[in-house]
Amino acid sequence: MTPLAHYLILSGILFSIGLAGVLIRKNIIVVFMCLEMMLSAANISLVAFSRAQGTEGVPVYDPQVLSLFVVAVAAAEVAIGLALIVAMFRARKSVESTAITTLKD
Amino acid sequence: MEAAISSILFYLFATVAVLSAFGVVASRNPVNSAMCMAVSFASTAAILFCMGAQFLGIVQIIVYAGAILVLFLFVVMMLDVKSEERNLSNLPRAIIGVVIAGVFAGMVTKAALLLPDATAGKCPVKALCCTDYDATPDTTVAEGELSGGALPELAQDNADVKSLGETLFSQYNIPFVILSFALLAGTVGAVALGRKIRKD
Repeated sequence: MTPLAHYLILSGILFSIGLAGVLIRKNIIVVFMCLEMMLSAANISLVAFSRAQGTEGVPVYDPQVLSLFVVAVAAAEVAIGLALIVAMFRARKSVESTAITTLKD
Repeated sequence: MEAAISSILFYLFATVAVLSAFGVVASRNPVNSAMCMAVSFASTAAILFCMGAQFLGIVQIIVYAGAILVLFLFVVMMLDVKSEERNLSNLPRAIIGVVIAGVFAGMVTKAALLLPDATAGKCPVKALCCTDYDATPDTTVAEGELSGGALPELAQDNADVKSLGETLFSQYNIPFVILSFALLAGTVGAVALGRKIRKD
């Protein structure tokens, strides 16, 4: 049977790929996709802990409830974030993160 | 045998998830990124199924691969985003990002391996194990099917959803209500941000 550590390592790797995408990419839509991947990687870790803490084959359901909350918050966040991206495209005619320089100049 | 198959499936889906996550970061066209993200979310859902969290796996497919991905594709289509060209000025930024992410992945791996009992390979989920699971076909089920004799077994199959719902609506009822307000605020905020601003 697959040990708990492998699930946690998979979750960590997916999270770091998302982190790398957030740091590297300039296109804000892709940065936002990478953020979503980071959230879903955290879900794997939560469900793995829920399974590992269980006794007699029944998992502990508190982490799974938290994971469900994460999914709902991610959905709300995507709605707001994409509206912000559309508003930014209207104002700047670009979706590159290098176009937002009002506070820098 | 069943344990071996579930291990093989886990490593298969983990490889697919990691490779398609690389695809999201590496591909220049945002539409390709979105398609790679769909594959990544589907294999994440398969891994959740392997862990016995059927309801969360279905939610992952419906919410992430269904709703969120379609929203992304709509925005990419609406904004007519050009693909990013790759030039040398991006190189320092890419190196810094890869180093930070690599250090983070190393830390998580080390911490996961240091957890007590993390590498023991316990088998806590009964439905996925070969033990105490009655594999012999029950002949009385076929006879009792017409009179609804198979119903208790169905209830046993839905044990995951049932227990999750009981926890959600008893212990976490107030956070659940607050969460619905967050979703309402998200909807109202999206409409308010997406409206055309009048200059008068």
